[in-house]
Amino acid sequence: MGALAAALAIGLAALGAGIGNGLIVSKTVEGMARQPEQAGMMRVTMFIGVGLVEAIPIMAVVIAFIALFS
Amino acid sequence: MPDIGYLFKKYRQYLFYFLALLVLGWGFTPYKTIFLGLILGTTVSFINLWLLYKKTIKFSEAILNGKKAYSLGMLSRFAYAGLAILIAIKFPNYFNIIATVIGLLASTGVIFGEYFLMFITKRNQEER
Repeated sequence: MGALAAALAIGLAALGAGIGNGLIVSKTVEGMARQPEQAGMMRVTMFIGVGLVEAIPIMAVVIAFIALFS
Repeated sequence: MPDIGYLFKKYRQYLFYFLALLVLGWGFTPYKTIFLGLILGTTVSFINLWLLYKKTIKFSEAILNGKKAYSLGMLSRFAYAGLAILIAIKFPNYFNIIATVIGLLASTGVIFGEYFLMFITKRNQEER
């Protein structure tokens, strides 16, 4: 059951992170293509956004590893 | 809004201050395992933030030059977090697992803190 729990945790976390990162990156690419002079600002927004989005999936990875190995 | 290099420099500064405090805590208090776990988690979190910074710059340069960009390196960051927690599980006499998990959130805390600081400073400037 530990392996199943780990698989569910890491899979759902990857799904959520993928959707979140995909939305952020798609909007950033769209914005950069439309206004290349604003690229610096969008890069900062993307950096902060991706950094915040990936906090919870990292916790899920940790939970998966704890379920699997301890 | 500040430049990404300036922002990362500030994050790096805060994380180094935090790590220095943790080393002091490890050296002068009896809670050795907790502080070592926090140091391990914060270090890995710092590496993750640096990787994200490098990948973001590479990605945006690729977009601006019309080249292809393949990933933002999410898997490697997850792998680093997994490695930290594996070390903490393998050596429970040295590293506290809960403290390692809390340390992994240090960079998120720094991003939040800096953002709120920026927000408050901007609001104060507008009020004047």
